[in-house]
Amino acid sequence: MPTTPAQEADALATATGERFDRVIRLTQAIFSAPIAALNLVGEREQHTVSAVGAPVRSSPVGESICQYTVQQPNIYEVSDLRADPTFADHPVVAGPPRLRFYAGVPLKAPSGQRVGALCILDLVPRELGSMELAMLADLGAVLERELAVEAEMQHAGEVQRHLLPAGPPEVSGLEMAGLVQQAREAGGDFYDWQVLASHDGGHAIVQVALADVMGKGLSAALLASEVWAVLRTHSRYVTLDESIGRTWETTEPSLSSNAAFVTLWAGRIDSRDGRLSYVDAGHGLAAIASARGARRLAQRNLPLGLPAVDDWNADTDVIAPDEVLVIVSDGVYDVFGSVEAAMIALQRAADRAESAGSLVHEIIDYAASHGATDDLTAVVIRRIGERG
Amino acid sequence: MELTENRTDRYVVLMPKGKFNLISAPSAKAHIDALVAAGQSRIVVDLSGVDFIDSSGLGALIGALKSARLASGDVRIAAAGEQVRAVLSLTNLDRILVPFETVEAAAHGW
Repeated sequence: MPTTPAQEADALATATGERFDRVIRLTQAIFSAPIAALNLVGEREQHTVSAVGAPVRSSPVGESICQYTVQQPNIYEVSDLRADPTFADHPVVAGPPRLRFYAGVPLKAPSGQRVGALCILDLVPRELGSMELAMLADLGAVLERELAVEAEMQHAGEVQRHLLPAGPPEVSGLEMAGLVQQAREAGGDFYDWQVLASHDGGHAIVQVALADVMGKGLSAALLASEVWAVLRTHSRYVTLDESIGRTWETTEPSLSSNAAFVTLWAGRIDSRDGRLSYVDAGHGLAAIASARGARRLAQRNLPLGLPAVDDWNADTDVIAPDEVLVIVSDGVYDVFGSVEAAMIALQRAADRAESAGSLVHEIIDYAASHGATDDLTAVVIRRIGERG
Repeated sequence: MELTENRTDRYVVLMPKGKFNLISAPSAKAHIDALVAAGQSRIVVDLSGVDFIDSSGLGALIGALKSARLASGDVRIAAAGEQVRAVLSLTNLDRILVPFETVEAAAHGW
């Protein structure tokens, strides 16, 4: 977590978009100034989040005029930069575009620290009247609110990333990898794995789950957290079918009242022999693949959250030593457009893959570079140790 | 997304046009909820004008179906295109939102 104002400014520098741009355009028009900008003053760099009349995205803090604005709580106004000894020799004052006027209102992050400024610059000396000062302060308050939204979303995304597995568990006989790339800071995709039973000789049952809550952003992320926690808790004590049934029972009220549903695929793999039992609750995007071919692991069960109960009975299969189990979210499926096309691509990728990790990255990178707009998730499990 | 409405004496036909997604789903669901609240709970959604539906669009249809069934009615879908059918089949939602060929077939029995 960032601690100093400059560090906080650097963290917020990813902020961008129309919601900042429209306030800057408004500021520029209201003050008829050639330049208006939202600058965040970082440790080494000043980040220009949005600007009219100033094409620079970032510049060294040493050249920043806004660095003086953030050091005090009020609007910082320099009526004539050329007459002010601090700025007279500044490159943009002494040289082109020969700026003469600066006024900036400091902007606070939600922590209360001053991280940047909304500023206007002009080529002629000016003096702002009391009405203009009040207006600049109001516009600054609007931008502060937008920065707070940005910070809140960043924080939510961070919390959600911490809910996802930090790394796959070490289980002899299996190699596992998983990756989520949310379309926004937070989203409705998640995956999880649990080592459920471990006997002598390193024999373990691994449960893997991948779920996709409909919708996007923070609201989907909240519901995903609930489903994740409920499934994880039940899975430790009961069979897979029973875990899914109980997860439906517990999450149905909140999913239903939000007109939301969750597609979920979960499987349990015996690390010793690759035996698999799985339940597909309307997800449909899991397969076992190798150079020899790819077969889909799909059932006709409904997703969770519908006003209808299903039995969610598990089916079984076996992952052969040369095969991989692959589960993806519909964001990945969308770039292929059909199950058939996705299965052909998967067979080729499984044949080439050197590790579970490389296959997961190949799937996500492929989808991201082929116009994916949704959250992207992929999980791969490969058997190891029995091949040469 | 445009949403046009045709009423017969037995049921209401809604025709959304364009993308049925995160942006358009809430207003479509609100429209159906308002119909149900006004006593019109037999609704056919003619999807012939929808070229794309995402999970939010499906969520709106499921939510609408739920409120209609609570009012002893139903939401049925007709004339879904290829992409809509593919998504319904992938998620198995075609089990509770059966895609009918035509509005007349969907409204059969009403």
